[in-house]
Amino acid sequence: MLQADTVQLLCLTAASGVPLFSRGSSKQLPFSVIGSLNGVHMFGAGQGTVLSSCETERGSRVVWRVFQDSLMLIAVSGGGNKALSELHLRRLLENTWNCMVLVLGRDELANVRNVERLKRELRSCYRLIDRLLERGGEDQGFMGDLTHCADCLVPAQPGILQETLDSFTQAADSEFGCLLIRGRVAVATDKWLRLAPQEVILLSTLANSLSGVTSCDYPVFLPQGSPTVAHRLLCFQLLPSAVVCVLCGPSPSLHRVESELVGSFWSPLVETLRGCLEQAERSSLPPSVSLRWDIQALLVINRETRRSVVASSRASSQNPSEAPPLSSPARRWELLRHFYTFAVTRYFTSEEVTTSPTLPATPATPAAPATQASSTPATPHESLHEDFSKGFTHQPTQCYLVTDECKCYGLQTPQHQLYLLTDLSVPTFALRSVATLTLSAVTGATGF
Amino acid sequence: MEAVPPGSVIVADWYRNPDSRDFFTKILHKKKRRVFGLLEAPVMPPHLKADTVRYKVFISGKSGVGKTALAARLAGHQIPNMHYETTGMETSIVFWPVKLKESSRVLFFQFQLWDCGENAMRRFDHMLTSCKEQVDAILFLFSFTDHGSFKDISNQMSRFTDPSDRVVRLVVGTKFDLFMHTDVTESEITRFQEVSRVPVFRVGGDVSEGFGEIAPLLNALAENLWHQDCIHASSASLPPQPHPEDTNREVIV
Ligand SMILES: Nc1nc2c(ncn2[C@@H]2O[C@H](COP(=O)(O)OP(=O)(O)O)[C@@H](O)[C@H]2O)c(=O)[nH]1
Ligand SMILES: [Mg+2]
Repeated sequence: MLQADTVQLLCLTAASGVPLFSRGSSKQLPFSVIGSLNGVHMFGAGQGTVLSSCETERGSRVVWRVFQDSLMLIAVSGGGNKALSELHLRRLLENTWNCMVLVLGRDELANVRNVERLKRELRSCYRLIDRLLERGGEDQGFMGDLTHCADCLVPAQPGILQETLDSFTQAADSEFGCLLIRGRVAVATDKWLRLAPQEVILLSTLANSLSGVTSCDYPVFLPQGSPTVAHRLLCFQLLPSAVVCVLCGPSPSLHRVESELVGSFWSPLVETLRGCLEQAERSSLPPSVSLRWDIQALLVINRETRRSVVASSRASSQNPSEAPPLSSPARRWELLRHFYTFAVTRYFTSEEVTTSPTLPATPATPAAPATQASSTPATPHESLHEDFSKGFTHQPTQCYLVTDECKCYGLQTPQHQLYLLTDLSVPTFALRSVATLTLSAVTGATGF
Repeated sequence: MEAVPPGSVIVADWYRNPDSRDFFTKILHKKKRRVFGLLEAPVMPPHLKADTVRYKVFISGKSGVGKTALAARLAGHQIPNMHYETTGMETSIVFWPVKLKESSRVLFFQFQLWDCGENAMRRFDHMLTSCKEQVDAILFLFSFTDHGSFKDISNQMSRFTDPSDRVVRLVVGTKFDLFMHTDVTESEITRFQEVSRVPVFRVGGDVSEGFGEIAPLLNALAENLWHQDCIHASSASLPPQPHPEDTNREVIV
């Protein structure tokens, strides 16, 4: 259907199937195919079933989802080595919808009155959507689009950064502030971390897409917290790749924050920020965490705060000479994504359907409970596979996988999850203890 | 205020001059333009100390005309090759060293370029207010490939009249590199400059040529802003003028 390794995203009106946009793969699907994809979904609906996904013999996949009874998003992926998993495609649809709400607000999308106008308006979402489709961050180990946990960096000295951020945010009449170092959340205010994880990820993506821009003032709707009232996202590039963001109401103005607050709060921290940027070049974990040399890559998720951190050891080549040649960092991140997907769709299934957080922070007008529910539907068809655990009353807490490239171990505690890739040289029987020790090394030293 | 002729206040093409090298290397990094964070500025050794003067420059023009590309071009960032609607306001900082003609004094001009997407401006009121607040210069953009955008320039300029007249106004024609498709003729430009007495600059194409491509526009901005400040400083000692709002004059461009 599509060329291998490509993805195409389609948006149509749900009621009449009018195409609104398509993004992704340069070679567009022919109109007749788009029509059929829509038609087969409609046919299902007529029979009282929801068609949510299908897979062809050659590894192509199609995933459908209707949002707000108003717009339908379809993701089509060609087969090939980089074919996206169903989980990833689902996330893509969800993230795309959230992008659209972020930029345009839910009202604009839920009540389509003028199709031509909506088509024009939707163009303003392309930058963010293309950013998601490019999968540009994947080779740097960004996982948030897939895990719906904020990609974080654990700074060596978080204290002073946190204090400064808290007081800076307060001075800007806001409770929502965040410092991004090379695209990762280094510190954030409590309220920022209590935004829905998808929102945290989208706001980071938005702030990261401003290459070179010194500061910005973007109206944003929060897909969960405030889908109908826009807030302002102000971002300031303190140093190249060190960006501080605040989420504000109508005041203060961009100019005021920049001229009166940025310098006075952050100038004393220039060296600390430079230190963070240097650290980020090497690892998202501080130097106090030492990892075994035979660990290829790891992902630790804090399940409570929905934050995640990745690391890949041996960036410094202190490994013994007998170590087998290591796959490229990009490949290791790719394997980590595969293993994450494998684990959450088969074993750690409670992670798969991200339920909305219990406390969706709402800066201004809290959304009514009714609209809240409809914006984060954890509908039954969200479940991706027949559960491994069906018929069992217990939840798996560990899983492993051995491939011809690496060994993988997954571990979950009530608080954390660890996804670990090691060299083949690690004996399989030792994986569990390596994983347990690694998790405590990471969380113990950093309080992550 | 009328624009001053190029080279009357500052040394024209100073970037070509060997004595400017110490200053221009400060805005470069590995042969490319250096990106400055808000906490950074060019640092000169003590014997070459130069003051920094800050100005706010608003880039005005309709969607797709090339505002974001111009900001990137002047700031030395990667120029976007896709048209993505700017869904809010963005600012970029440009440092530009200039040598004053009379005193031979060197100054770093720090231009903060303000770029705002047209749709965002229409949907959210605070955007335009914010862009106009304390603005020192406005660049009015048209595209050489869109005659309508050129026709619209006079409209745009009349919408932004500032009664105190303390705003430098320049016109920039973008996409000049696409001369094959040009929609706007030389004689139209000449006539426009004669009537409005506002200079028109042409930009487009590669920036690989170094500073040559952006120097005329940045120098003109610097020169006119400096001139405007000098005039104001010398008139500041005069008795205060009647409040501009009282006179209620209309400006026809
Ligand atoms: N060839 C050429 N293309 C340009 C020039 N300036 C802008 N563009 C293109 O015109 C489109 C719109 O530019 P953009 O700066 O995003 O427009 P804006 O809406 O005014 O911000 C983009 O595809 C740019 O690459 C130019 O000087 N030359
Ligand atoms: Mg733009």
